[in-house]
Amino acid sequence: MSTEQKSDTASRESRRSGPLVAITRWLENLGETAFAYLLLVPVFIILGSIALYPLLRTFELSMYVNVLGTGDPEFVGFQNYVDMFTGERDPDFPGSTTFLPEVTTSSSFPFVHVEGWFRSALIVTLLFTVVSVFFETVIGFGQALILDREFRGRRLVRVAIIIPWAIPLVIQGMIFYLMFHPSTGFLTEYLANAGILAPTNTLNDPLSALIIVTIADIWKTTAFMALLILAGLQSVDRSLYDVAKVAGASRWQQFRLITLPLVLPAVGVAVLFRTIDAMRIYGLVDITSSCTVVPSLSCMVVETFNTNRGLASAIAFVTAGIIGALAMIVIYRQFKEGF
Amino acid sequence: MATTTESRSDSTDSDDGVLARWTQGVIGDDEKRARLYRALFYVASAFFLVTTLFPFYWLLVLAITPNSSILTGDWSLPVVGIEFPHPQGFNPEAFVDVFQQVPLHLHVFNSFVLATATTIIVLLIASLAGYVFGRLEFPGKGPLMLAVLMISYFPPAAFLIPLFDAFLGNAVVIPFLGIELFQPPRLVNTPGSMILPFSALFMPLAIFILTTFYSQIPDGLEDAARVEGTTRLGALFRVIMPLSAPGVATAAVLTFISVYNEYFFSSIMALENVPENWSPLVGAILSYQDQYTTDFNLMAAASIVGVIPILILVIVAQERIVSGLTAGGLKE
Repeated sequence: MSTEQKSDTASRESRRSGPLVAITRWLENLGETAFAYLLLVPVFIILGSIALYPLLRTFELSMYVNVLGTGDPEFVGFQNYVDMFTGERDPDFPGSTTFLPEVTTSSSFPFVHVEGWFRSALIVTLLFTVVSVFFETVIGFGQALILDREFRGRRLVRVAIIIPWAIPLVIQGMIFYLMFHPSTGFLTEYLANAGILAPTNTLNDPLSALIIVTIADIWKTTAFMALLILAGLQSVDRSLYDVAKVAGASRWQQFRLITLPLVLPAVGVAVLFRTIDAMRIYGLVDITSSCTVVPSLSCMVVETFNTNRGLASAIAFVTAGIIGALAMIVIYRQFKEGF
Repeated sequence: MATTTESRSDSTDSDDGVLARWTQGVIGDDEKRARLYRALFYVASAFFLVTTLFPFYWLLVLAITPNSSILTGDWSLPVVGIEFPHPQGFNPEAFVDVFQQVPLHLHVFNSFVLATATTIIVLLIASLAGYVFGRLEFPGKGPLMLAVLMISYFPPAAFLIPLFDAFLGNAVVIPFLGIELFQPPRLVNTPGSMILPFSALFMPLAIFILTTFYSQIPDGLEDAARVEGTTRLGALFRVIMPLSAPGVATAAVLTFISVYNEYFFSSIMALENVPENWSPLVGAILSYQDQYTTDFNLMAAASIVGVIPILILVIVAQERIVSGLTAGGLKE
């Protein structure tokens, strides 16, 4: 009945004329390629104006010295990048007086210091990325092995494991802020006694804050790793295990000789995804500790873009470049597999 | 299960002989081994459950404990004497106060509006793209998909500076040519300054999920609709989209959660953390942290209130989330 009605209205439509009908007819007569490109126009308007344009413009801005309150921007070519890598501009860096306030006096944290703030940011970001992704992969693998099995309460365990992934970043940060804040946190004392965290002012101590931020990230994103690895596990042909059992392989051998090699590609993809994501760290640092204590690359951009636009743009573009290079690896893989 | 674990720990601290015998037993006896694996399995599951859920327990404890008790910092259990967080006193008023100090409900409302608007925009535009990538063959398809993928990887910090400029109402200039294109309206403190970046950030994932689902609809169904006289776009919105309802729901749920959870643009594009500036949930939590620096019970209560909508969504839509995350992560 409904189809009849539809075809009825359709035939009536085709007899009518007017701008809408004309457009419809024009759309219908477009070739497949033209039609495809036409439908992609909105996507590329959004992505072009919100992502591509800012990226190019950031690159342009990074070639100017544009410090708040010093008059018109001056074109300096790649000077900002040179200064950044050599640490030349550090004394004039407007952030440097407010940035990393306490660390100047403390020599015990070799990875954060005002001399070479860019290097500090790079080291902080890489350290965070490597450590958090490593633990997320190992723990995520364990969780995936659990979720891969049939057992009572599996749904419950799965929800429990996914929940941290879905927690708003600001609340995740708040949880760990409260967990390690010296006036509330019961954990701080234990970990300080064990020599892992600084006993006082824990959240303003670069190393302690970095550890806390890393723990918070592991808590949240391990679930994501687990899900990706689980997808890999579930694509393993179950009959292989039956064959192995008949051949007398132990569980450990089954894991080492069947599961691991077959899941490794999925783990590789998951690790790359997470690495790219971890390199962008900003919000968690901002709420749990402070960008002046744990200066990640994105942190540097946000903290300085209102005062020194040129330098902030240079940091932003370098960050994008590092992440872009990693993304190329992912894309190359995808391309090879025949996208 | 409990007995196996116990016997294991017992044997480790008694003499080596018992341990050796036990190990021998495990190696030799299939049933014992199976029991060991099961025990390990339950111990590991319990461990993961406790570690993932403990932080929520901690929030709840902080929220209902009166703030004065929190500030003493003494969490020792009454009888045992060891430190373990537990409610000290019962102060449910925190959940009332939390709406009075900062208009938390308005912030959450803003979050909902932003998330809903973004989800609708993303679904509409990503549906067109998903249809194109999933069902049409045309030159340049591969490179275009890769371009979309590539953009999704860049950090928001790389987009921030020019976007912020444009949203302040400064002229948009063609990079390197210096030609002024147009003067955009001042968008900071309005939903637009967040919905636009959110749409771009979360569009690629939705496109990939929808591409996967749309490509699985048999051609015959689309052809049948076309024979009936439906236009190509009509077939997309009246046949393909309804048939891919699970995929559309997955993309919708993931986009909604992503926007609700976003931090970067949410904290920057509303210049002050007040609901009049369209500051979402992020602004409310930051207000508590910045202005009510010692009201730890309110910080915890605000976090609980903010997390509840997401918690409900996760429990209701867990199948969709799992399939969406794995489809988005492992594009086959």
